[in-house]
Amino acid sequence: MDPLAAIKVTFFQECEEQLAELETGLLSMEGGDQDPEIVNAVFRAVHSIKGGAGAFSLEDLVRFSHVFETALDRIRSGAIEADQDAIKLLLRSADVLADHVRAARDGGTVDVGRSQAMAEALAALAEGDGSAETEEDTGDGFGEFEFKPVAFDMGEITAEPAPTSTTFNVRFYPQAALYQKANESALLLRELTRLGDIEVELDASGLPMLAELNPEDAYLGWTIAVTGETVTEAAVREVFEWVDGDCYLDIVQAGAAAALTPASEMSVDAMGGEVDVLALIRAAQEAEISPSPAVAISAPEPAKAKEQALDAKAQATAREASPQTIRVDLERVDRLIDLVGELVINQAMLAQRVAECGLQRASSVAVGLDDLEHLTREIQDSVMAIRAQPVKSVFQRFPRLVREIAAMTGKEVRLIMDGENTEVDKTVIERLSDPLTHMIRNAIDHGLEAPEDRVAAGKPREGVVRLAALHRSGRIVIEISDDGRGINRSRVKQIAVDKGLIAPDANLSDEEIDNLIFMAGFSTAATVSDISGRGVGMDVVRRSIQSLGGRINISSRPGQGSTFTLSLPLTLAVLDGMVVTVAGQTLVAPLTAIIESLQPKAADVRSLGPNAQVIAIRDSHVPLIDIGRSLGYRTVTPPPTEGVALLVEGEGGARAALMVDAIQGQRQVVIKSLEANYRPVPGIAAATILGDGRVALILDIDAVMVPKPHGAAATTSGADAVRPTAASDLPLAMAG
Amino acid sequence: MTKTILTVDDSRTMRDMLHLALSEAGFRVVQAVDGLDGLEALDAAQADVIITDINMPRMDGFGFIEGVRANEKHRGTPILVLTTESDVAKKQRAKSAGATGWIVKPFNPEKLIDAIRRVAA
Repeated sequence: MDPLAAIKVTFFQECEEQLAELETGLLSMEGGDQDPEIVNAVFRAVHSIKGGAGAFSLEDLVRFSHVFETALDRIRSGAIEADQDAIKLLLRSADVLADHVRAARDGGTVDVGRSQAMAEALAALAEGDGSAETEEDTGDGFGEFEFKPVAFDMGEITAEPAPTSTTFNVRFYPQAALYQKANESALLLRELTRLGDIEVELDASGLPMLAELNPEDAYLGWTIAVTGETVTEAAVREVFEWVDGDCYLDIVQAGAAAALTPASEMSVDAMGGEVDVLALIRAAQEAEISPSPAVAISAPEPAKAKEQALDAKAQATAREASPQTIRVDLERVDRLIDLVGELVINQAMLAQRVAECGLQRASSVAVGLDDLEHLTREIQDSVMAIRAQPVKSVFQRFPRLVREIAAMTGKEVRLIMDGENTEVDKTVIERLSDPLTHMIRNAIDHGLEAPEDRVAAGKPREGVVRLAALHRSGRIVIEISDDGRGINRSRVKQIAVDKGLIAPDANLSDEEIDNLIFMAGFSTAATVSDISGRGVGMDVVRRSIQSLGGRINISSRPGQGSTFTLSLPLTLAVLDGMVVTVAGQTLVAPLTAIIESLQPKAADVRSLGPNAQVIAIRDSHVPLIDIGRSLGYRTVTPPPTEGVALLVEGEGGARAALMVDAIQGQRQVVIKSLEANYRPVPGIAAATILGDGRVALILDIDAVMVPKPHGAAATTSGADAVRPTAASDLPLAMAG
Repeated sequence: MTKTILTVDDSRTMRDMLHLALSEAGFRVVQAVDGLDGLEALDAAQADVIITDINMPRMDGFGFIEGVRANEKHRGTPILVLTTESDVAKKQRAKSAGATGWIVKPFNPEKLIDAIRRVAA
């Protein structure tokens, strides 16, 4: 719809609301309610209708609402009293106004006689005993409701425009009030240039010594000669229309000042005229403005202004430029996303079928299908963008959290936030809140030192916690960093040894030690505090980030602080995956986790025991894990040389080679929750529907590669083996 | 640089009209629905020019203008008042409250943009 037509629709909707408001208000008045706000609301209702009607040139509606408004304005100002008769008239007028609105909307007609009679009655009411209040009445009479354009030509002197240039000399001395109302002398001078050539002379003689200068005051004045063929006094005056009363202004046509000579007979001897003008102006200036340019206009009281500023600040809500928006039920959006998911699957299925027909790549069907794929992707992206929201909604809770934790811990903390407008799927945002809260608590509670310790370490008393979000290669990255003490690696390692998480003689890199804090049951706080809680450690944070398809990493420098980096998918609805075959099952491995795929050579594989193998990949050995066995699809591992190994990297940076039988290909898959449709399955993150309509399971890389604790290995894998889950076990509803 | 205009008007029609005209002219538009809302929007909007209606619920245009002029951070922002030609008294009241200038309703986009140009550097 043409935007103006859309606004017109809005206008008529609004008219209906205003008419309802009008009637309600008038009925309350009839019931004896004296609240002035009711009269105001009634007035505003009619005023709004008139304003909109004027914008759309709905003349009849403007005319009637104007008379109506005038009467109401007189009641509002107390000039006339709204007795029962008056209110009855107003109520009937409201009906006629409603008729006018509907006639304007639907193109019908109103009862002209009734409308005319009502308008006259309203005018009579307005004129009633209104002699007392004249100010509001000025120019507000019955005959004036036709809006007039600004009178550009008013007072034009020259009857016939002479081809010669005319010059006006303007003396312009602003007062402080002019600047207080945010007018600018420079802008006014700029406006004058639109009328003709200008010559400007600055009078800075009023400038006091610097020490006495009040930046709020006005000290400068200008003399401007405006010359042009079409310049008129009215046009010059119009430039200064808004500053009338806030400046000393004198406009004289050059050569016209000496006598009241008609313009046509005016001498063009500008020199002689100008001297006279200046003399006149000087005299006028002496008479009209005091020698001291300091004009006593009180600036707003500083204390009060500040108070109000703070008040306004406190009330200020995060508000963006508001492009036009509509509110849509989230369910509808989700339904749309679901449908687009189906469309993606359908398109993939179609592509597969066409490929099976053995058509040439260049055939028109294949080309058309390519276009369809592009289009589908684009639709998918656009639909996903509907759900995208700035992370601000989560971030904005943290300043308060930081203040509270700082108070509880006695630490001094400054929170810096960056990239709050970075957008990510609503679901991701909702589930980010808890892990981020936990990490910020940790950063302050464990990361930052007490103020005295910081000073002793040569750092500022105030610690800094930085929270930043950015987009990087199709994912959102969130960093939480502090400038605290960093990770105490020897202590972390000692705790891990004490808790049996690692062997006492384990040789770990700094990075590996840092990542120990993500292990279950690890807690570094010397004293268990109320803030970070007991037992809930970074392992929980990592699990929740992983459940969002995200990764978390830490980097730390002793004495300089730590940085946690979260990397999350922008949406939970789709995933780029590698489709693989394992023991006759089709599985999907998230592409983000895969570093490379390779065919193992017998020489590279070494057995470390009956159930443990490693593979040499370039310089390092990584565990070789048979997916078929860990998911319980088979009990005997086929020779690694017959399959393909996917080198994957888990959240903590640990690597493993996952054995699969074959790779089918890469594709984007639509994620369907297993928990929602079936039940949680160990080692499986979710499911999807492939191009051929089959259900495939999406691997939870971290769960399958986690080296099971030595003692627990047998029981865990045993339990899994008893209840293997294959796609074929899933309820058929999944496929729908 | 794109200039930001804060429009304060309780009428959706007027807000939409202003939005249409201003955004077509390349301005960024922030909207508020009445004087109080407008005062709350000041910090976030960082407007270069404010356009306000007079008759509004909760807080009218006069109160809003006074509020802006009393706000240290925003008191230098030009404020244009939407008014009707016949409202001489209202123009004067708006002026003494601190309005920079006015736009006479009904306005056309040129008149609107012209008025903004007159107060915006």
